[in-house]
Amino acid sequence: MKYILMMNTMKAGSAGFPEWPKKDIQAHIAFMKRLNQELRESGELVAAEGLSWPDQARLVRAGKDGMPITDGVFPEGKEFLAGYWIVDVETAGRAYAIAARASAAPGVAGAPLNMPIEVRPVMSGPPGEFVS
Amino acid sequence: MKYILLMAGTKAGVDTYRAWSQSDVQAHFAFLKGLNRELSESGELVANEPLAGPEQAKVVRAGNNGAPITDGVFPEAKEFLLGYWIVDVESPERAYDIAARLSAGPGPGGVPTNMPIEVRQIMSRRTDELP
Repeated sequence: MKYILMMNTMKAGSAGFPEWPKKDIQAHIAFMKRLNQELRESGELVAAEGLSWPDQARLVRAGKDGMPITDGVFPEGKEFLAGYWIVDVETAGRAYAIAARASAAPGVAGAPLNMPIEVRPVMSGPPGEFVS
Repeated sequence: MKYILLMAGTKAGVDTYRAWSQSDVQAHFAFLKGLNRELSESGELVANEPLAGPEQAKVVRAGNNGAPITDGVFPEAKEFLLGYWIVDVESPERAYDIAARLSAGPGPGGVPTNMPIEVRQIMSRRTDELP
């Protein structure tokens, strides 16, 4: 079963990350690299991507003529996806265990962040009854 | 340049969608299939994943002992990611064009949904680029 593990952030939260002391950032990145390596070796890692910071996010809608209307203004409390993992695991419990590992990634001075990670099943296609 | 196109909605929004007639849902999926085929043929489609509904979402935190603490309760206004596309394109404008195509996908009665699509660049080598 495939699950997606989503790391969300508020705009203010992600803006703070680059201001960590350099060695704390390095320790955080090293932790993430080790976790990814471990999941690759266990054959559970399907994909992992980091996204650009929220200040580069644009909201796009089709105008009346179908042309894109872009907007960079978001509600103050909006959560932004910072990055995600897709894992292929035997049980939901295993997906939650991996999420807990990511949650405990080190922050400033190595203290675990205990950040929330949203976990959802990935559907490999639309539900069968919807496909014509 | 790789961009991710995020389709998100609240739980209430998802419930509205679930009330669409079957023919409207079929028309919407036929539209998405057509668009995916076009992006595959142009070599721009990297990945596309639909996610399970918000009622299957859990938020997980590490407890003090590192064991997972799971919770399924979310704020009413929370936006849930419903699905995403990753495209590899020459310019941000091309990513915005594709997002507008998605936004113009047919809703009930074939009327374009004009739903907002969030567009962000993917940093595939972020972990190596940071100090």
